[in-house]
Amino acid sequence: MNINFLMAVMILALTGAFLPVINRLFRISSLLGAVISTFGYLIALFLVLISDQGRALLNSFFTTDEVSRLIGVLVLLASWMLMFVVYWITQKDKFVNELVGAIMISTAGALLLICADNFVSLVIAMELMTMPTYLMVLFAFDDKSLEAGVKYFFNGALAVGFILFGVSILYGLTGDFTFKALVENLFKDPLVALAGIFILAGFGFKLTAFPFHFWGPDVYDGTCPGVAALLTGISKSAAFIALMRVVFEAIPVMAPHFTFIFALLAAITMTVGNLLALAQRRVSRILAYSSVAHAGYTLVAFAALSVPVSITGILYHSAAYVFMKTAAFLSFAVLLYIWGARTMDDYKGLGKREPVLAALFLIFLLSLAGVPPMAGFISKVFVFTAAVDAGMTWLALIGLLNSAFSVAYYIWIAKQMYLEEPTIEKPVNDVNRVWAVIPLAVMAVILIVLGIYINPVVDASALYAAKVGF
Amino acid sequence: MVLLSMILLPVIVAPFAWLLERVNRDVPKYLSLAVGVFLALCTAYLIIKYPGNGFAFNEFYTIYPPFDFNLHLAVDGISLLLLGITAFLAITVTLSSWHVERPGAYFFLILLFLGPMVGVFASLNLLWFFIFWEFTLVPMFFHIGIWGAENRIYAAMKFFIYTHLASVFLLLGIIVLYLTAHTFEFEKLVGINLEPGIAKLIWILMFIGFAVKMPVVPFHTWLPDAHVQAPSPISVFLAGLLLKMGAYGLLRWEIFVFPEISKFFAPLMAFIAVLTIFYAGFRALAEDHIKRMVAYSSINHMGFVLLALASLTAAGISAAVYEMLGHALIISLLFMIAGYIHHKTHTWYISELGGLMRRIPLLMTMFVIGVLAAVGLPGTAGFVGEFTVMLAAFDYWGWIMIIVPLASALSAGFFMWMLQRAVFGPLRESLKELKLSELPLIENIPLAMYIAAFIITGVVPSIVFNLYNPVVNTFAQLFK
Repeated sequence: MNINFLMAVMILALTGAFLPVINRLFRISSLLGAVISTFGYLIALFLVLISDQGRALLNSFFTTDEVSRLIGVLVLLASWMLMFVVYWITQKDKFVNELVGAIMISTAGALLLICADNFVSLVIAMELMTMPTYLMVLFAFDDKSLEAGVKYFFNGALAVGFILFGVSILYGLTGDFTFKALVENLFKDPLVALAGIFILAGFGFKLTAFPFHFWGPDVYDGTCPGVAALLTGISKSAAFIALMRVVFEAIPVMAPHFTFIFALLAAITMTVGNLLALAQRRVSRILAYSSVAHAGYTLVAFAALSVPVSITGILYHSAAYVFMKTAAFLSFAVLLYIWGARTMDDYKGLGKREPVLAALFLIFLLSLAGVPPMAGFISKVFVFTAAVDAGMTWLALIGLLNSAFSVAYYIWIAKQMYLEEPTIEKPVNDVNRVWAVIPLAVMAVILIVLGIYINPVVDASALYAAKVGF
Repeated sequence: MVLLSMILLPVIVAPFAWLLERVNRDVPKYLSLAVGVFLALCTAYLIIKYPGNGFAFNEFYTIYPPFDFNLHLAVDGISLLLLGITAFLAITVTLSSWHVERPGAYFFLILLFLGPMVGVFASLNLLWFFIFWEFTLVPMFFHIGIWGAENRIYAAMKFFIYTHLASVFLLLGIIVLYLTAHTFEFEKLVGINLEPGIAKLIWILMFIGFAVKMPVVPFHTWLPDAHVQAPSPISVFLAGLLLKMGAYGLLRWEIFVFPEISKFFAPLMAFIAVLTIFYAGFRALAEDHIKRMVAYSSINHMGFVLLALASLTAAGISAAVYEMLGHALIISLLFMIAGYIHHKTHTWYISELGGLMRRIPLLMTMFVIGVLAAVGLPGTAGFVGEFTVMLAAFDYWGWIMIIVPLASALSAGFFMWMLQRAVFGPLRESLKELKLSELPLIENIPLAMYIAAFIITGVVPSIVFNLYNPVVNTFAQLFK
């Protein structure tokens, strides 16, 4: 691992850890807290950007390549914008600094996770990413959030249990944890397939893939939506990248046998996600089920793992997803804070009341739906190109039909916002919206730029494809 | 830079239309008019400078060559004609929308629509073509949904979901095409040799996407709803530009790219075309709703376009492109006037109208001229379009196409019957209390422009044909 990258992780985690302490000592305002964390983020961003220079250490645990740099930058940007909005929507809460600190530590875990090329470091990084979120889910301290927290905790524990069990089988067979050694030592043993299935199941929990998707919507709906944005956007994107490394670096010998399982899971996951999303009345649950559906789209790219385009698909979808999903949940959070809008009925006429925020929300929804020129469109092009290239035109057709049907509920929200008359008369919290609008606008711009300027992501995926031997 | 500025300028100006509404309610419409004039001037410049054949004004913006994801803009005679229609309709629609409610958002969306529209007709990269193609849906959705008639929300949702679903097939076709041909560039795709099985699959997938946009039976059901509920100026955009996208896409990206496969599917296209012509004609005959009737006559005309395309000869393609122009001008006029009739009489139904000519003679005279053009009166673009289409169809398919003039008689039937019931005769009792008055001048200007345009192009069709005939002849070599 590159020393600068590690420094970035450390600085981010330490800023997050000291933020609550500083608050206890000096009673800082939200604004000052945001400034301090911004310093942490900026230094981390800078260090990640220069992580192609400097010496390497911990080489048997982590690797720093183009993929980790690119996704690292994107995750940091998304988390930075998330921090602003979280400060803004929880400005009256006295534990806000603890929450933001936890967000930064969890982001540091995500940064480590996208570098992990050893099962030990993978599990540790994943836990570093997940542990703070157990606290964050409980942040609201109401009944729903307690239920969500318990559900999330048990599912998270189960997921790690599955992964550890799979890893221990692999260790028993090869005597090594590093991905490199595994590739060299793996032999055709049915136990390897078993280990692969357990690891896949563990990741399935993290990605909310069918049949492990049940907890997702309950948790995303039950907790503070700012936290849900982190869980479903940033954590999930990092988990996609980790799974990509496992599939392409640790078990490439076995992976072709999983093609059909991936394809089946992808088809069911996206169909289930979209169908259930259509049936929801609460906007947070719609976004949650759409996140399940998007896990399905990424699994389509995993199913196509025999062709190099699949890497582009996975990478592009993770890159787009980290912005569009985080931003969609944050828009929901902001509208919830200002207007108390939870259900579809509450969304009626919000376009008239909040022209700018609603327009931004619309951009994120259209990106999720895959309407050009947003990044969500081009990522779908790559995902389904991979599927067709790998000879699974049927899967691409199912995916594209799903994406066409998913438009129904995204556009339904747009319809409620713009085509209906307002129902809510007065805002719950009428405050200055600048610090909610700016971060969301930045994310919208990034989404549009990523949708047209595809070079960074495709270049990184080409380098990674060369690295794993395509 | 001209083509890129024609795409970017409307999109860049768009937010100002929205923001400057606060300053002065009149700013957005003047901005939109200025952009329309800009587009018209640019198109005029391009037409004057156009060398006569082949692609000109190549603009190549490299983005990512390995994936062939580059913005390649260029125009030939056919795209120039469609750009001309775009610019013309941009001006007339702006003038027709002069007194619209919430002008900021309205003209914001119009400008947001115009940029990608130019992109659709000017892009030679298939993926960029699709990006522009798909983005035009978003402004249209809001136009129908916000400014539409009473059932607007249903129509907007149906429009968006239906056409997006169709685009999905188009996208899948594009992906399969890319993976077999490894390029999105039109010039590399022309005459490419693919395995027939794969090529047929691609052809069918892309055809579904284009057929829904055109639209042809049985994929037409979104259109009557969208047209009827949309405000009249937006119906003009739908009929004049959105439907042309389908026909243009079919011509450019299927017939020119896969001449052999298109020949294989020509009977299918011709069958669908004839079916569309008759089905839409009979539906229009049975329709009491005046705007819905015009919508079905619009589908009927697009059937003629498809029929001409299916003949796969220079004459046929030439006729199809001309018919696109005629359709854009004539149906736009009819949609506008149908909207005004509803505005003045508060009814959509022919059976509740009657004798309008006695009270608003100027508007109704224009309506009659438009109807006569749609029926195919010599001296208008409608005649030239239908006549050339029929000639091409006879030439290629022989005597079986004797049924097509019958369809023309059908269209004369439903239009004349409508005129007799709604426009002529004694004034209906229920309309006597209403204060029926002529339109203000500014709203008459676009109507006069449509009439002037389809009479000029009808009397001197060579000014249109000369623009793109060399291009069509060059491509017609592919079918030999």
